[in-house]
Amino acid sequence: MIRLDHITYAYPDQKLPTLADFSAVIEPGEFVLVVGPSGSGKSTLLRSLNGLVPHFYGGTWAGRAEVFGRDPLSCAPRGMADLVGFVFQDPEAQFVVDTVEDELVFAMENFGVPVGTMRKRLEEVLDQMAIAHLRGRRIATLSGGEKQRVAIASVLALQPELLVLDEPTSQLDPQAAEEVLVALRHLNEDLGLTIILSEHRLERVLQYADRVLYLPASGEPALLGDPRVIAAQLPWSPPLLDLGRRLAWDPLPLTIKEGRARARDLATRLRAAPQPAATPPRGPESPPLASVRGLHYSYGGRPALRGVSLDVRPGEFVALMGRNGSGKSTLLRQIVGLLKPDQGQIIVQGLDTRNAALGDIIRGVGYVPQDPGALLFNDTVVAELAFTRRGHALIADPAADDRLLSRLGLADEAGRDPRDLSVGQRQRVALAAILVASPQLILLDEPTRGLDYEQKHELAALLLELKREGRAVVMATHDVELVAACADRVALLAEGQIVVDGPAREVMSDSQVFASQINKLFRDPRYLVVDDVLAAAA
Amino acid sequence: MQVETFHPVAWLAWLAAAALPALTTRNPLYLALVLLAAGTDFIALGQRSETAQGWAALVRLGALLWLLTIPFTMLTNHYGQIVLFTLPESWPVIGGPITLESLLYGLTGGLALISLLLAFAVFNLAVDQARLLRMAPAFVYQSGVVAAIAVAFVPQMAASWQSIREAQQVRGHRFRGVRDLLPLILPLLITALERAVQLAESMEARGFGGVQTAAAPRDRLAVQATVLVGLALAGLGLAGLGFWPQHRTPVLAVAALGLALLAWSFWRQGKRVSRTSYRRWYWGRGDRVVLVTGLLAASAWVTVLIARSEWLFYYPYPPYSPWPSFQPILGAAILLLAVPALLVRRPSQELMPIDPS
Repeated sequence: MIRLDHITYAYPDQKLPTLADFSAVIEPGEFVLVVGPSGSGKSTLLRSLNGLVPHFYGGTWAGRAEVFGRDPLSCAPRGMADLVGFVFQDPEAQFVVDTVEDELVFAMENFGVPVGTMRKRLEEVLDQMAIAHLRGRRIATLSGGEKQRVAIASVLALQPELLVLDEPTSQLDPQAAEEVLVALRHLNEDLGLTIILSEHRLERVLQYADRVLYLPASGEPALLGDPRVIAAQLPWSPPLLDLGRRLAWDPLPLTIKEGRARARDLATRLRAAPQPAATPPRGPESPPLASVRGLHYSYGGRPALRGVSLDVRPGEFVALMGRNGSGKSTLLRQIVGLLKPDQGQIIVQGLDTRNAALGDIIRGVGYVPQDPGALLFNDTVVAELAFTRRGHALIADPAADDRLLSRLGLADEAGRDPRDLSVGQRQRVALAAILVASPQLILLDEPTRGLDYEQKHELAALLLELKREGRAVVMATHDVELVAACADRVALLAEGQIVVDGPAREVMSDSQVFASQINKLFRDPRYLVVDDVLAAAA
Repeated sequence: MQVETFHPVAWLAWLAAAALPALTTRNPLYLALVLLAAGTDFIALGQRSETAQGWAALVRLGALLWLLTIPFTMLTNHYGQIVLFTLPESWPVIGGPITLESLLYGLTGGLALISLLLAFAVFNLAVDQARLLRMAPAFVYQSGVVAAIAVAFVPQMAASWQSIREAQQVRGHRFRGVRDLLPLILPLLITALERAVQLAESMEARGFGGVQTAAAPRDRLAVQATVLVGLALAGLGLAGLGFWPQHRTPVLAVAALGLALLAWSFWRQGKRVSRTSYRRWYWGRGDRVVLVTGLLAASAWVTVLIARSEWLFYYPYPPYSPWPSFQPILGAAILLLAVPALLVRRPSQELMPIDPS
């Protein structure tokens, strides 16, 4: 049993406690989902279960914790390791050695487990996580989902009572995330392992959870209870829940299956709704901002793009989707001129990337890389903007900078150090640092990684606004709901080729994997997001 | 990629045998033989390794540097009796006789370095360094893991360097001087630091450091005292070598005693960490052959080094002869180093029974 009793904890140098008088009891064998906006203390709470908080981070701690009979405060993380298995967010940064087998036995070696037992347990965890085929591989060669399963297996090898996972799927593509979650569910249901998991994307896990713990942003007390009960009280929710709440469905549907059953009448009514008048044919098409023709590119003999052609026109919002390694990022880096085509050509605003200087191309093209940390290094947010201005040989314009920052909701952060900001804010600072040069074409690589619902909504609103100004946005992403909300065109990449390129509604509604929740509910290209349904139902 | 490597101890013997000639002679004939033997192994091993390309590039770079130094030595060094041709004396520095001796001198200097480089390349292809580090005895086990992490860190840093450079480039950052390094170095440091903290956290959460059995206070005191005494004696012995060069034997005995005490205390310390090792190394047939040939070649070389060191001496300039001497027995010993290449050709599974599955 896990008992947290009036825990108050503040990180060093912080006046406000991250956890304030927090109490909860979790029974053995439960699957508890921890939700809440960024900065609400999810990670802190999870780390207090094995003593990383406060042992690793310092700070002030009050209250009593008891995890399966041990006190994390007195046992320290090292002494909790055989009781609490902890899996971190980033699949890259938690591996100690470089091959799968060595990684799986690392913790057992540290605990002096006899070799015979070690071998037996190794075989067990290989089977439990279905990774036996990976045993001899180097970790660097695994995919993200495989890495997370290896990480889970490596903590399972000590046969812990409790498995704690801190947003284990936030860095994964939907398919890989599914693999991990299915494996977790199996551990919980078949082995009775207690699991405490924090996750941003509720739609994936809500159905597996026995109880949900909601940590609000600040001040308000935490809620712990039945998924349906808590889900009805969350300030934000995935589309299916959102629709259920707006239409006052009771009980709330947690899965598509439940939703389809509940929406049967509505679906008939919606299907009968008159087809909207065919969109008037657009006027003569404006010339493309970027035009990719027959592009081939390979990294040291390994083909990454094979014959890609794509036009992007002003005012278009194109989503690039596809598995990891399908060539999305490579295509973006090609368009901005960081990579040069092996074959074919790319014309960006009249410049051929093969012979134009990067400095000329970036005057019209903004590229926001996956990790905003790669971009930001100045002491203040305004200094970041000024740096880009200098790089583009633009004159300083503090008034314009202020306008941009307040548009991005960063007006209060102008003088702060970007490194002290939250992930979502950092993402927006990175965007601001690119937008300050007013590019007509904006390229985004996985902009929603690690963002919570609210931050994602803000980002979507901002991108739509840019689109309305007549700029073009090309975004590589796995986030189906974001695409449903923003994009008007989807290009699906596989193995370096564009397999489908068409209007978002068409591409997304005849796909199993890339359909949004609402679309799965009604299976009709007219209904992708909640607002589509509400408008038709009204 | 499947990980298959040979037994590291066997290859340590091979490495010693291959590095010895490079460290102790400049005789181009022996060095060329080392180069030949190591090169054969490199080509044979390279077929089954992805890292071979990186090493091959490094060796090529070394060879290029070596070839560049030869004309430099020839043009600036005018000693020697066998004149190949003469440049006008009026040309500064390079004017004067260009001699065969200078050519040979330039050739042999680089040859030693290249063969050393190639020997290390072969060793790295044959043996997984990360596992080698983890074979370290218990009291240096933690340092071994730290070193293994550092080795794994380098490629990650290279990847983040690439993405940071791109991110700054598209912001219009151009590299003009040292000051422009800041936008690249700062994010790199921050990323590396964040990653290191995360890794540390992960290791802590997984019980790194092992379960230390608490030592009795008296026992701990004894170990600490031994460390102090051992350090003092070893330091005294080493200093004594300088002060009393005439009393070598007693001074060396003191130093040896100090080192032995240190080793004992470390060993005691290591015993307290209860840790088991999953990975067991198996001596395959091929490994034994590598070990035996390595030991044979090394002992032949050491014997000659002690008993007939004049065989190894080579200096092209007068009064010595520019023509190197050659002892067939030493040549044969060096060629033994190429034997592993013959073994690799057969199906690799037979030779690498490492995987304890």
